Amino acid sequence: MENFEALMHGFSIAISVNHVALMIGGVLLGILVGVLPGLGAPNGVSLLLPLTFGMTPVAAIILLSSIYWGALFGGSVTSILFNIPGEPSSVATTFDGYPMARDGRATEALATAFGSAAFGALVGVVLITCLASWIAGVALQFGPAEYFAVYFLAFSSFIGVGGAPPMKTVVSLAIGFAIAAIGMDTVSGSVRLTMGVDELVKGINFVVAVMGLFGIGELLIAVEDELHAKPVSSKIEWRILFRTLAGLPKHWVALLRSAAIGCWMGITPGGPTAASFMSYGIAKRVSPRRANFGKGEPEGIVSPETADHAAGTSALLPMLSLGIPGSATAAVMMGGLMIWGLNPGPALFIEQKDFVWGLIASMYLGNIVAVILVLLTVPIFAALMRLPFFILAPLIFIVCVVGAYSVSNSYLDVVLMMGFGVLGYLFKKLDYPLAPLVLAIVIGDKAEDAFRQSMLMSQGSLKIFVANGLVTTLVCAGFALLLVPPLFRMIGGLRGRSR
Amino acid sequence: MLSRRTLEAATAILTGAFGVAVMVSSLNNGIDWSESGVESGTFPFITGTIVAAASLYNLVRGWMRGTGIVATRAGLQRTAALLLPAVLYVALIPLIGMYVGSAAYLFGTLRFQSKLSVVRSGLIAIVASVALYLVFERAFQVSLPHGWLGVVLDL
Amino acid sequence: MSVTFKLTVTLIAGVSAVALSSQAGAWTPTKPIEFIATAGPGGGTDNFTRAVQAAIVKNKLVDQPIVVVNKPGGSGAEGFTYTKALTGDPYHLVFGTSNAWSQPLVSKVAFNYTDFTPVAAMVQDEFLLWVKQDAPYKSVQDYLTAMKAKGNTAKMAGAQSKDTDETLTRLIGKAAGIKFIYVPFKSGAEAAVQLAGGHVDSHVNNPSESVGQWKGGTQRPICVFNTKRLPDTGKVTATEGWQDIPTCQEAGLNIALFQQPRTVWLPLKVTAEQTAYYVDLMKKVQATPEWKDFIEKSVQTNTFLSGDAFTKYEAQDLEQWKKVATEEGWLVK
Repeated sequence: MENFEALMHGFSIAISVNHVALMIGGVLLGILVGVLPGLGAPNGVSLLLPLTFGMTPVAAIILLSSIYWGALFGGSVTSILFNIPGEPSSVATTFDGYPMARDGRATEALATAFGSAAFGALVGVVLITCLASWIAGVALQFGPAEYFAVYFLAFSSFIGVGGAPPMKTVVSLAIGFAIAAIGMDTVSGSVRLTMGVDELVKGINFVVAVMGLFGIGELLIAVEDELHAKPVSSKIEWRILFRTLAGLPKHWVALLRSAAIGCWMGITPGGPTAASFMSYGIAKRVSPRRANFGKGEPEGIVSPETADHAAGTSALLPMLSLGIPGSATAAVMMGGLMIWGLNPGPALFIEQKDFVWGLIASMYLGNIVAVILVLLTVPIFAALMRLPFFILAPLIFIVCVVGAYSVSNSYLDVVLMMGFGVLGYLFKKLDYPLAPLVLAIVIGDKAEDAFRQSMLMSQGSLKIFVANGLVTTLVCAGFALLLVPPLFRMIGGLRGRSR
Repeated sequence: MLSRRTLEAATAILTGAFGVAVMVSSLNNGIDWSESGVESGTFPFITGTIVAAASLYNLVRGWMRGTGIVATRAGLQRTAALLLPAVLYVALIPLIGMYVGSAAYLFGTLRFQSKLSVVRSGLIAIVASVALYLVFERAFQVSLPHGWLGVVLDL
Repeated sequence: MSVTFKLTVTLIAGVSAVALSSQAGAWTPTKPIEFIATAGPGGGTDNFTRAVQAAIVKNKLVDQPIVVVNKPGGSGAEGFTYTKALTGDPYHLVFGTSNAWSQPLVSKVAFNYTDFTPVAAMVQDEFLLWVKQDAPYKSVQDYLTAMKAKGNTAKMAGAQSKDTDETLTRLIGKAAGIKFIYVPFKSGAEAAVQLAGGHVDSHVNNPSESVGQWKGGTQRPICVFNTKRLPDTGKVTATEGWQDIPTCQEAGLNIALFQQPRTVWLPLKVTAEQTAYYVDLMKKVQATPEWKDFIEKSVQTNTFLSGDAFTKYEAQDLEQWKKVATEEGWLVK
């Protein structure tokens, strides 16, 4: 109840003409950087940070968090239309979003994504409002062993759901782990696997890898098989948009399940990327429509998008209450907080009530503004699909090249991206699954760090992974997800034979 | 024409070579248990070994079981027609920069592959390049490479 | 046509620039300037870089826009390697710490401090010894006794490996005869959260990395690694301020001074005028109220070293590093 009053007070601070104008501006800029691969919310935020020095902290954080919302929404656009995930967390959206767009259902796919994303974000905000202080306590329970267990859980919920040949899955996964290990190693400080290329000390950026594997790879396949997207009909788009939004509640099971997964992964610092993969993986196991997954099933968009945004929103909470940023953008905002003279930490909720609750109120408003604006842009984006393929293909190439370069101003990244493009083509041709590779690149090195930190702390004893209730539960859940499906298959196989 | 057998084998050799390279490279970092915990080469070494071993399996299996054709001659030609100009474009970036490079690449593919008129392909190429310049160089202050040409013109 | 025009403009600009410089010996930037932070957003180096940017922008010290770019890969090696390649380019400044000369000692990185033109060392960041708020030990002596009693399982968290935090941990271990398990995390903020959760026994964060946690009552400092106490900036918590924290020496842990400089560099082969311009700019930055505010809020010590003074300091500090790195067997082969 106390929180509710504080929230109302927050709304009274956040709602003003000035603030709403900032929100709209921020969201539009955010959508732009989110749509352009290579640029992301951190670019927008660090660009505008100097402008905010003269603002009040509340106005400044509203502007910056609006960029964040806009970029989260915008990131899904290229995933769906061109199979190019602009942000790590929208990779899972490509699995069903892109096939839908290719079938001429781009509007439906985009509307589904935005609608469920907004739902996820709102659940995340409500959670923050109601349980802010309790959540901060939960996050503190996570030491290296618990981190490792969370990553393990994310892996095991995702691995083994596809029908790919097992040894090809293994190759894909292990290559991902090796790529994640390239560069400086946190635990020992030594440089690994650079194979004589000095610049690789920075590691291989995830965006570079996925733009090649997914974007370029898919383009090469599409041109070879003449799989050109079906043109989108222009007249009835608005009607499709509203019909899709109105039809979203029928996916309520998926929405709720994914929001729960998302919030959980956002608070325990698994992050939005792990959340979206895990949510997709679990949906593919339990959904009644699982047979259609990967072929353009709306629920395959609902699951990762809801979880992604629920996690992205609840990830702001650890930043405010503990001072650990849950994402790159949250980190830039945290830097901003310090410049405005605010110290992220448990004291923020007590000392800076106006600021914290103003921000939380602006999360409600910002998300509503963002979803309205982004839905208005759907016809524009869907119209892109009407460009003839021979113009679209070189344009996508250019966008990927520029995007890969702008990730860290590096030409090497462009060359690597082309290499990944060819690899993506080969893998796709020969039924090697790409998703395990991507998941391993994103959380492989974090999982390794956490494991080695645990080993340091326990002096080499694996008992640290069953040392308390929390970590034991996580590890057991991970093993259950990993082992139960094959067991069922084996039992099913035996039964089939005995019959 | 490309048989599945050949492509399976080539890919498996490629991944296998990567695995071996990872194994060799991580030996430099040490793959033992030292005073500061697991040494930094251990995990890469394990993953490298797994990649190499699984690639060997895929190689044998692909060779034994691979049948049929994965790509037709016409399909491969279409792929090459898309990929090769793009590779050339990337290769020329250090020389002529990204703006001129993108414009030339777009113009080239549209004019000579898709047979658009000179005016149309030129227009598309220039508009795309200027849009790139405005968004990246101006709006977001991300400086894209100007290449050797940029140095000469002192941009 | 436009090329000739451009050339003419360049020529005129060049001539007038020459004319100007012959008059005043001055160089001024004519393009946007990029500040490269060798740390991720939110880290100490990032805050330092953005504070310099804020002071310049707010006081309009430079006519050109200033962009901050984070290049944190490889514990900052990414930023240094990137800047190293930009020889002769006076529009890129790289911001770091002592890692410019310490990292090449312990890691196989592709740069060394000799690959850059030093501009200035602007602040010295302080280190404190932090414990969990509800830890039973009140004084440094209690803490050291308790850690000794743990045998070989006393855990110290820190940011990165073989960097300042681990060095300080080893120094403490040697001074007090304790063998710490050092657990490296990605940032000081992460180390602080690990301590708040009770997963480690202590860490040696900078003041700004843990002040929020101190205010929030999850951890507290027990001594500062300086020869004198920190300046009085009022109360941080209800009862205590920085000035109330004893120095480690007076509390019985014999490490006199341990600080970390924050440094600014240009690429090699820039002209003397260009270097002088930035040295002067950084001096102006230090005179702004925004900068004073930054120093006070982040509880660092203001210094200004440039030219020979910087080089001398650097040489001394490097000797220190070499000594520790040799003793610990960290030197890269």
